[in-house]
Amino acid sequence: MTVITLADIMFGAVGLVAVGAALAVVSTSHLVRAGLWLVVTLGAIAVEFLLLRAEFVAWVQVLIYVGAIVVLLLFAVMLTKAPIGRSTDLDRPIWPALLVGAGSGLGLATLFAWVYASDGISAPPVGSAEKLGQNIFRDWVLPFEVLSVLLLAALVGAIVLSKKDAKS
Amino acid sequence: MVKLPPMDYAAIMPLLILFGAACLGVLIEAFVPRRARNITQLLFSLAAVIAAMVFVVKRAGNVTAANAITAGGAITIDKAALFLQGSLLVLAFVSLLIFGERTLEQGGAFVAQAAVTVGSEKDKEQAAKSLGSTEVYPLALFSLAGMLLFVAANDLLTMFVALEVFSLPLYLLCALARRKRLLSQEAALKYFLLGAYASAFFLFGVALVYGYAKAVDFASIHTAAAVGAGNITLLITGLGLLAIGLLFKVAAAPFHVWTPDVYQGAPTPVTAFMAACTKAAAFGGLIRVLYVGFDGLGWQFTPVLGAIAALTVMVGAVLAVTQTDLKRLLAYSSVANAGYLLIGVLAGGQLGLQSVLFYLVAYGLTVIAAFALITLVRDADGEATHLSRWAGLGARSPLFAGIFTFLLLAFAGIPLTSGFMAKLSVFGAAVDGGQTWLVIFGVISSIILAFPYLRVVVMMWLSEPGESTPSVSLPGVLTSTALGVGTIATLVLGVAPGLLLDLADKAAAFIR
Repeated sequence: MTVITLADIMFGAVGLVAVGAALAVVSTSHLVRAGLWLVVTLGAIAVEFLLLRAEFVAWVQVLIYVGAIVVLLLFAVMLTKAPIGRSTDLDRPIWPALLVGAGSGLGLATLFAWVYASDGISAPPVGSAEKLGQNIFRDWVLPFEVLSVLLLAALVGAIVLSKKDAKS
Repeated sequence: MVKLPPMDYAAIMPLLILFGAACLGVLIEAFVPRRARNITQLLFSLAAVIAAMVFVVKRAGNVTAANAITAGGAITIDKAALFLQGSLLVLAFVSLLIFGERTLEQGGAFVAQAAVTVGSEKDKEQAAKSLGSTEVYPLALFSLAGMLLFVAANDLLTMFVALEVFSLPLYLLCALARRKRLLSQEAALKYFLLGAYASAFFLFGVALVYGYAKAVDFASIHTAAAVGAGNITLLITGLGLLAIGLLFKVAAAPFHVWTPDVYQGAPTPVTAFMAACTKAAAFGGLIRVLYVGFDGLGWQFTPVLGAIAALTVMVGAVLAVTQTDLKRLLAYSSVANAGYLLIGVLAGGQLGLQSVLFYLVAYGLTVIAAFALITLVRDADGEATHLSRWAGLGARSPLFAGIFTFLLLAFAGIPLTSGFMAKLSVFGAAVDGGQTWLVIFGVISSIILAFPYLRVVVMMWLSEPGESTPSVSLPGVLTSTALGVGTIATLVLGVAPGLLLDLADKAAAFIR
């Protein structure tokens, strides 16, 4: 007999916020608002991480996703289009997206409900900075270092694609 | 205090050399004067590939279970990995030669400033005069290093990282064609978007498999699947998503739609590199996932993957018939070849593995030679890839038309070429493995596919050269070498395949 704790209820409620905000991201026709809704989604996911006692991951989520990526996204919108108000050219037939989104969402939900109803999920280990650091810099040190090389490759690529001679 | 896991530096040296050389290549961009850059970068990259090859060869033959898994369990350098790494290095060496060619066109096949508006005055000026970009060498090395890691990854997470490392530079390289730049940019964008999608599928698959096995390394997945712990649906769904990601990379139907556009739009040296090396790396990863990670499932996935293989060989062959552009034709032929390789993978066992390893090398060398030859047939606007332009080429330049005919016959699988031996070994293994129905599809597809190849041959030799038949440029030393190596390998592997087959046979062993 499992007991539903306050943390479980909060987890569910915050999850609903995340999903609702995600729906708003893809359904609003204001580009900037979509970006701001993304803040809510990603922030809610950070709270979920906190509730799962993974505080380091939560703060990384806030720093990288809410902080850097959304800001980058908004900057990109501002520098390329800077639309104010609705963007009418974003209208697309809604049913393919609805079909794919609802289908995969429901499918995965059913799968997880079915699988974990019988097995249950063991309590997650605490995701502290110490534990993550141990993991990343011991077992996963090589893939981690390779990821930094990937960033370098992306950087070189960005420069190659965007460079123009200043003169002439 | 965090202690590093024990590292077998001799085993991962090829990786370290290539990553290091790619980083140094970026510095060369910064400090070497522009005129000397191409030759410096080319020699430096080739030297790095050779150095990596030396370490691979040195290690081949003395791998045991005790020294194969290293870097905290992230990497397995077993015999199959060494064979794949060795063949990737050879194929990349030959492709890099085409990258470096500068005598066909001033400045080579790559655009100097990709951001200049297509069709503007400045664009015309740079198409005619500029020196071309040399950042392609570090990017190609990054990609190659990622491929070497991909075939040696011992867990799904490392595999995902490697997948990204080898894909991202390829997306970028596709966008850098000097001629037909709009096609090239479109190709890069399509490849990037679809590739990102496929990566997402792969990553979700990893998550589901982790949910099942509580680990991402192949040994644990194998054990969990063999024991049958937990809900098997999770594992099957995970494998399905993983397979979508991998089948996208090998260009199997129905995940092949990017192939013709990307092969056509990318600069031809990059197409050659992709056709040979990406295919080898992606199949290397696929066989490791299936043979090492999911072997515990008892090959329950064979019917589904078999259906995909059958679909792939048929789609590739039938659509190749309708093509009017040579690069697109070869792209669909590459789709069909992915299907033949899948048949070999599904054959299972030692024989299946051996045939796939042999096929990858044989096909790679032939396809590089074919694309090298395509770079030679040009007019004022660059390469003339439309089929009609190749009519009557036999009269203009019998030598090159002859070589191309030979390569096409190899693709078609005519005896005395490597293509014949490769197909024979794959189909033979499949019959042995009880997959005769796949062989039937494979043979039908080969027969259909022979038609477009022979049409090109007939066109080259039996049509009169018209006004619009382009000239065949005399290749420089680099392209000649690449073309020569590819053609001779196609012949030698067809006449005397024993040596490579032996090597592949010895290499067909994974360590879990």
